[in-house]
Amino acid sequence: MITIDSISKKYRIPHEKRITVFETLGGYLRNRMEYQDFYALKNITLSIQKGEIIGLIGKNGSGKTTLLKILGGVLSPTEGVFAINGKVAPFLSLGVGFHHELTARENLYLYGAILGMSRNEINEKLPDIFDFAGVERFKDVKLKNFSTGMIGRLAFSLMIQTDPDVLLLDEIFAVGDKDFIPQSIGILERYKKEGKTIVLASHDLEFISKYCDRVIFLENGNLGMFGSAGEVIKMYLAS
Amino acid sequence: MKKINYFNVIKELSWADFKLKYYGSIFGLFWSFLKPFFMLIILYVVFHSFLKVDVEHYTWFLLLGIIFWNFFADATKDSMQNITAKAHILKNINIPPFVIIASSLLHSFWTFLIGLGAFFLIIFIFGFSPTGTIFLIPYFIMLLTFFTVGVSLIIVPLSVRFKDFGHLWDIFLQMLFWITPIVYQHFLVPKTYIKWYLLNPLARIIVETRTVVLYDKIPESKQILITAGIVISIFMIGLLVAKKSSRSFVEHL
Repeated sequence: MITIDSISKKYRIPHEKRITVFETLGGYLRNRMEYQDFYALKNITLSIQKGEIIGLIGKNGSGKTTLLKILGGVLSPTEGVFAINGKVAPFLSLGVGFHHELTARENLYLYGAILGMSRNEINEKLPDIFDFAGVERFKDVKLKNFSTGMIGRLAFSLMIQTDPDVLLLDEIFAVGDKDFIPQSIGILERYKKEGKTIVLASHDLEFISKYCDRVIFLENGNLGMFGSAGEVIKMYLAS
Repeated sequence: MKKINYFNVIKELSWADFKLKYYGSIFGLFWSFLKPFFMLIILYVVFHSFLKVDVEHYTWFLLLGIIFWNFFADATKDSMQNITAKAHILKNINIPPFVIIASSLLHSFWTFLIGLGAFFLIIFIFGFSPTGTIFLIPYFIMLLTFFTVGVSLIIVPLSVRFKDFGHLWDIFLQMLFWITPIVYQHFLVPKTYIKWYLLNPLARIIVETRTVVLYDKIPESKQILITAGIVISIFMIGLLVAKKSSRSFVEHL
């Protein structure tokens, strides 16, 4: 279960951005820095039940990724609190941390460690991972020779080997092909049965309306609507 | 899902860095020996042949100083570069930044140990038998490591906050190189300055290490205690900074 209580994320945007020592010192000497407040998220309150698949929609820049990053612990909210029951998968988008100069297998060791798996555990699961990703033949090929889709599949296959209670996914099905998408949807359905909670941001409204129990619509950082897929999507399209 | 074993992450990250650094280069690890070797030749020619610096075992005196110096200089610079290079990981995965800093330092530490191993091999080949007090060297390796870790933990958040901090650090390192007794002996420093001069922990560590490795003596216990005190203070400040800044500086990346 996830409860979010009046969360805001405020960024201070300096009128002139000072990112160097000299600019900062110079700025302090001349005048105080002037900032403009920008709310990436404003006063979001909602709660999600265990075992729900939640869609997250909104225009570009509406705060979808910010919300996922806050839930994932990557960003901290400026105001408000949230609580999550269970372990959260510590990543948002697939393939982050993959290094293109390393081979697929080496990347799995590295990424696996970040996800909490030891080298031995990865070795045990290696056949499954490659099999599911369908890149068995390329396991010792450097990742720079992989297509974007193949990298996505590899990352997804590794991800399902970890066993999180809550998954936060940011646009992960954008790169899969016709075989991989049904495969991964199968996994999501299995997760749902097992009572895992999934929050996924996507622009694929068809997908959202088909698989999500409820949908969050963000509008310029505000909670536009939170409810059944049909109504929320209708409102989103009208906005 | 299990709790993440940060030590495992640190190990895998530094191993990946190690592979990436030497992948596909013909000389591989050899490069990390070439740098101190050329530094040795240049400094030896300038200070021994031209300026007639006369120190007992000058080659080994110089090389030991260079190896210790390079560890500190490279490790601090690499830890700043590494945090920028791995910004995409920190921005997308909830792992503490110290994991990235530690992996970079571990990588530098291995390179340092390999270099030090090569140093002892070379002096052995050239017939210099290490003195009896050499058993103290792990202690000084530890001191240098704690100092380097402490400094890195302090400067990495600064380098993330201020994009030009790396340039300032380069200038600072250049200054520090000359106020550390790497090419000369510390008692050449005038009496008026020596009190301040010996506040530099790097100078103290290098002087004391040479004493035990090359000159078969054990430094005064008072001096050893002062060195340890300075190093531990800097290390504690580093830990404090790391704890305070934790994830917040990620937003500046």
